[in-house]
Amino acid sequence: MNNNHLLSIFVTGWLLSANAFSACDFDTDDADSPNFMDRIADCEKQPEAEKNGKRNSSPAATKLYGEGTVDPLSGMAERPVVAPGSMNHSPGKSFAARQHYSLRPDAKFEESVTIAIQRLHIEMAHYCAKGWTIEKQWTEPDARVEGDFYLHFLFRCS
Amino acid sequence: MKQLLLSAAVASALSLSSYGFADGPIDSTIYGKVNVSVVNQDSGSSDQWKLNSNASRLGVKGKTEIADGLYAVYKAEFEVCVDDGDCKGQTFTQRNIMGGIRGSFGTIWAGHHDTPTKLAQNKIDLFNDLEGDMKNTFEGENRVSNMVAYSSPEINGFAATVAMIPAEGADVDQDGQDDTGLADGMSYSVSYTMDNLYVALAGDQDVDKQDLVRLVAQYTIDDLQLGLMYQQNEDNLGTKDESGFFISAAYKIDKTTLKAQYGSIEDDVDGDKEETLSLGADYKLAKSTKLFLFYTDNTDSSVGSADVEDSAFGVGMEHKF
Repeated sequence: MNNNHLLSIFVTGWLLSANAFSACDFDTDDADSPNFMDRIADCEKQPEAEKNGKRNSSPAATKLYGEGTVDPLSGMAERPVVAPGSMNHSPGKSFAARQHYSLRPDAKFEESVTIAIQRLHIEMAHYCAKGWTIEKQWTEPDARVEGDFYLHFLFRCS
Repeated sequence: MKQLLLSAAVASALSLSSYGFADGPIDSTIYGKVNVSVVNQDSGSSDQWKLNSNASRLGVKGKTEIADGLYAVYKAEFEVCVDDGDCKGQTFTQRNIMGGIRGSFGTIWAGHHDTPTKLAQNKIDLFNDLEGDMKNTFEGENRVSNMVAYSSPEINGFAATVAMIPAEGADVDQDGQDDTGLADGMSYSVSYTMDNLYVALAGDQDVDKQDLVRLVAQYTIDDLQLGLMYQQNEDNLGTKDESGFFISAAYKIDKTTLKAQYGSIEDDVDGDKEETLSLGADYKLAKSTKLFLFYTDNTDSSVGSADVEDSAFGVGMEHKF
């Protein structure tokens, strides 16, 4: 291919691409990393379907919930909330965490959204000790109990 | 100029029509970096100053949702030679070029690309693209054509990639017969990532006319990053049977990162040995910009002849965008 053609395709692509820079913190050298596919998929803008409210969590995000011990509040098999203070940090890695909370009038303080957010922040601090970005947050109802919900955070280590 | 306008118009038409037919939005990103260094290279018989462009590049990458949860992904990266504008006689030369389909099952992709073995190194080479690049000492740092690959999703920290490389008539196993199969060459990697630990096992079969196995480990403790690699490789004619190791360490102090790495590989067939030693430091000027300096000594020792020593020191800058 003539180099002029190649250059002009780049320039034209640049001009046409309104989203030339996405919000994700993509590093040029990520393109040569073992998980470059994840970085391509994760660092582009969210697909329209997701913007419209469809909850497709990133396939590269590591889920931090489920497959654990039964939570007495939710009755679900949740992983225990990790202990704070450790220095785990995987730059650019995505995680999906969730916590159960209740808006029922008779809910205890331990079931409040405040505690759910506190627990999520403990998890984020554990896995991303050097900082993080919350890329998405959403809530799903707990189908078994009216007034109970799950608060989800999709976050990425900085 | 007419050529430029014409091709711009064609590119515009192609891009616009693509928007029209795709099921999902086309998300593309242009990225790249400029990396240049002023280097003094001493090979014993000659001592010269040079301006080097160290794999400076321009690329475009992206994905498009083509069905619910199914994406077309692509990447096209080209080297630009900032020092003299001459990349092997071209203004641009191809680096990693690929396209694929990605879903919850993983990614099936194809192109002209670094092998899974090369990718598995995961940047334990702290002087990559400089004189101390491990490719100057170790085999297995290959970018190959005609690669068809599958990359698994990460499951509990485990991930794998396997690639088939049709030889398209070349004799890659060097048995005197043209190779015409789909998997004439193979390359694979299996990795495990947990918190600050990365471990990978990778290997090649009949890639670059040799078989190879390497084990890579990387561990980060606060501001210290350690890397380790062990490798064995054997060429298909039995004239080379090498084994060696590579270690690296980087320590971050505020905006400065101190770096050191050493590698040694020995050929069991003839006793020849290659060593590489690099020391250096990076100074971060901004999030995407750094200055660096380095010293590298690469030594080839052949049985029965004098060592060939090649040393270099230099300063440079890198800006990513």
